[in-house]
Amino acid sequence: MSLDENDQETVVVTDDEQTLQSDEDLIDRVRNTTVGKSIIRSPRRITPRDRAAGHWASFLLHIYPVKIRKEELGFRYSWYLGVISTVLLGSLILSGLYLMFFYVPSPANAYANIQTIQNDVPFGQYVRNVHRWSAHLMVFAVAAHMARVFFRGGYKAPRQFNWVIGVVLLVLTLLLSFTGYLLPWDQLAFWAVTVGTEMAGYVPIIGDEVKEVLLGGPTVDSSTLLRFYVLHVAVLPSAIVFVLMIHLWRWRKDAMFDQEREDADE
Amino acid sequence: MSDKKIETTTPVELSSAPETTSGKRVLGVVPGKPSSGERKVITSDDSVMVWPHLLVRHAVAAMATALVVMVIAVFFDAPLRDVANPQNTPNPEKAPWYFAALQELLARFPPLVAGVLVPGSIIMGLMALPYIDNSRFIKPRNRKVAVTTFATFIVIWIALTLIGFMFRGPNWGWVWPWQEWHGEL
Repeated sequence: MSLDENDQETVVVTDDEQTLQSDEDLIDRVRNTTVGKSIIRSPRRITPRDRAAGHWASFLLHIYPVKIRKEELGFRYSWYLGVISTVLLGSLILSGLYLMFFYVPSPANAYANIQTIQNDVPFGQYVRNVHRWSAHLMVFAVAAHMARVFFRGGYKAPRQFNWVIGVVLLVLTLLLSFTGYLLPWDQLAFWAVTVGTEMAGYVPIIGDEVKEVLLGGPTVDSSTLLRFYVLHVAVLPSAIVFVLMIHLWRWRKDAMFDQEREDADE
Repeated sequence: MSDKKIETTTPVELSSAPETTSGKRVLGVVPGKPSSGERKVITSDDSVMVWPHLLVRHAVAAMATALVVMVIAVFFDAPLRDVANPQNTPNPEKAPWYFAALQELLARFPPLVAGVLVPGSIIMGLMALPYIDNSRFIKPRNRKVAVTTFATFIVIWIALTLIGFMFRGPNWGWVWPWQEWHGEL
């Protein structure tokens, strides 16, 4: 290599950096092939500042903060219940989309459709099981997430409003689970929803009207099934994903900083 | 390496001419600190990079969740009873398990209290919580009132849920779950 002396890079090399560089040789060699370059288009990010910039620029990572307080990493802090709830929501969306291909929300078809899903559709029974158990687990995980956040004081300033958003998410989770409960149109579904919607009738003055809007009539029938279906597959999922985005966005903003606290140091 | 950095350090003087290796020339060796700055011990309030520290943990949690769901789904089938029949009311009529506590309350209190006031005030109370308990104390032992109150409500709610789910049979009468099972998921 014959470079003019003025072009030579001036570096101060320590032992640490030399070992680091030899470790990275293989990765760099892969990166520098034609295929490697086409897949990973940015240079290797080494310094913390450079890595933060890379994180910042990544579309897939944009829902995460760049850095997070070390305390928030461990199992004890969150029990990972927020991640678990989100993963269960993902599992519900995927399995629910599959089930939608084989289901018609009318009393004449619904029950037979579920039987077909269980007996004839490839992996139908398995996907229905995933959907059902994910739903129960999600109600449990979201409630547990709330309790964990309460006990570690996660609702304290400046995070108060994200707690409120979390309560909205809990209510949406319950509504999603409840509207889905009716869809198989079996005895379990029919009477559970009959009992559940009776509560709406107890609201003073407008109780009967509320119930009528919910059920599409005085009792659970075909219009109830259609209403619950539309709520279950379109309205409520859109709502929960939208509110969840706000929840995560606010978490991302807050995660890097400690809360305002007056606790005495240990 | 910026010029500024080099100015602030005192290079050990090299006896011979600068050595040149692969286009780079060693001008000096700085004793003491590594060039990337001082190493320090990270405490719990310091921040660390999300990738890889948090993302690896989240990936493990996500995979564990997926595994649990898959295993349950392989071994337990979702229930499917007879087709809905408005003429045939089952006894007991049970709401889904997460409303079992409310249903249990309905059997004990007037419907306006159990069906409207209690669920309404639970939701409003939860939303108002951060503004009611607005002290700057975060550690549980510094906010005993809030923690005790919340824990009491949770215990009551779990107890009511278990009673409504497992201990109630025909006509909402008391049953022992090991004798008659009426819980439905």
